[in-house]
Amino acid sequence: MSLRIASQLMAEIRRHAEQRYPEEGAGLILGSLDGEDRNAHAVLPVNNRFEAKQRGRRYLIDPKDILSAEEEAERQGLTVLGVFHSHPDHPPTPSKFDADWAVPWYIYLITTVRQGIAEQTRAWRLQEDHAQMVEEQLAIEQESR
Amino acid sequence: MSYIRVPTALRAYTDGQIEVPTEAATVGGALQELADRYPGLAPHLFGAEGKLRPYVNLFVNDQDVRALAGVHTPLAESDQLMILPSVAGGRRMSTPLKAVDHSALKTSMAVRLGFLLAIFITDQSWLVPILAALMLIGTARGKPEFTFGYRALRRANWISPELIQDNPEPHRFALGVGGTFLAGATLAFGSGSPALGWVLTWIVIALVGLNLFGGFCVGCAVYYWSSRVGVPGFSKAPPPGVFPGRRPG
Repeated sequence: MSLRIASQLMAEIRRHAEQRYPEEGAGLILGSLDGEDRNAHAVLPVNNRFEAKQRGRRYLIDPKDILSAEEEAERQGLTVLGVFHSHPDHPPTPSKFDADWAVPWYIYLITTVRQGIAEQTRAWRLQEDHAQMVEEQLAIEQESR
Repeated sequence: MSYIRVPTALRAYTDGQIEVPTEAATVGGALQELADRYPGLAPHLFGAEGKLRPYVNLFVNDQDVRALAGVHTPLAESDQLMILPSVAGGRRMSTPLKAVDHSALKTSMAVRLGFLLAIFITDQSWLVPILAALMLIGTARGKPEFTFGYRALRRANWISPELIQDNPEPHRFALGVGGTFLAGATLAFGSGSPALGWVLTWIVIALVGLNLFGGFCVGCAVYYWSSRVGVPGFSKAPPPGVFPGRRPG
């Protein structure tokens, strides 16, 4: 499984992560399925609904925001492929909390933001037995899709 | 008959079905029926001891069942039961910051700076190893080398503590780097290279001055950058929003 994403969309994810620093920023990835692979077509930043004091290390996307995103995706003939979020001043690897709360099938993009500058982004997916998150291939493409 | 709406993330386990009809009388019954019909879905709805996974949210006709009767909420004809994930996560908990007394650090730096300048002006290079030893002992103890003077000033109420949430390790590392430079200077003086000895001494003078007057600790920055590239033994990240080496607060 891999996620193909245009560099413009990736730039949007990074910009959102930088704007929300030092809080965690989050949003949803809309796109299409291509067999086992996924193609991102749009990103939808959403508000971090976690309690304000904890937003530097936690994020929460409200189920109602997921529903709106699913409805928006359906209108565009797309699917909600997964989630992106940032780790301020921490590596782009899933924490135990990420794995405990991860939704199966979704792809998770995690971007490190260091001192307000977005750095590396890596893609992850929950293992089918929920034991841990495993890394997936992230293909950033130059041309717009 | 009522309907269960399956979210995108779980449709892979319901053969792509978006809506699944159910005859169950309650929310709990409907979920069980769904899990029985699609056994591959069950482990994604229920975790250990059959409890619902933390991300599973249930709505009956847009109303959260937690505000109704939970899984015992009844389902009437043509009701819609929506399963919606809430997505949460976040970074690993970092080791909490500690209250670091920057007043103690600054006092020690001021004494160190005065001492080094006095050594240079009076050309008493034999005093350099004494300061090097004090700094390296301070590094080993995890305390600045002139805390005794600081305590005396505190007792006399000449100075007050300045507690800032910070990591003590980078400051300890910076002290060790300074001590090592002065140990190098000692070797240079001892081996007949006074020019090299003074160059190393002046590097320490410059770095202490930059930290004391400019609020930038080069040794701390080296510590944080080492941590960033994964050098073993360097584990702390700067306090959130603080540039590596800058004084927080």
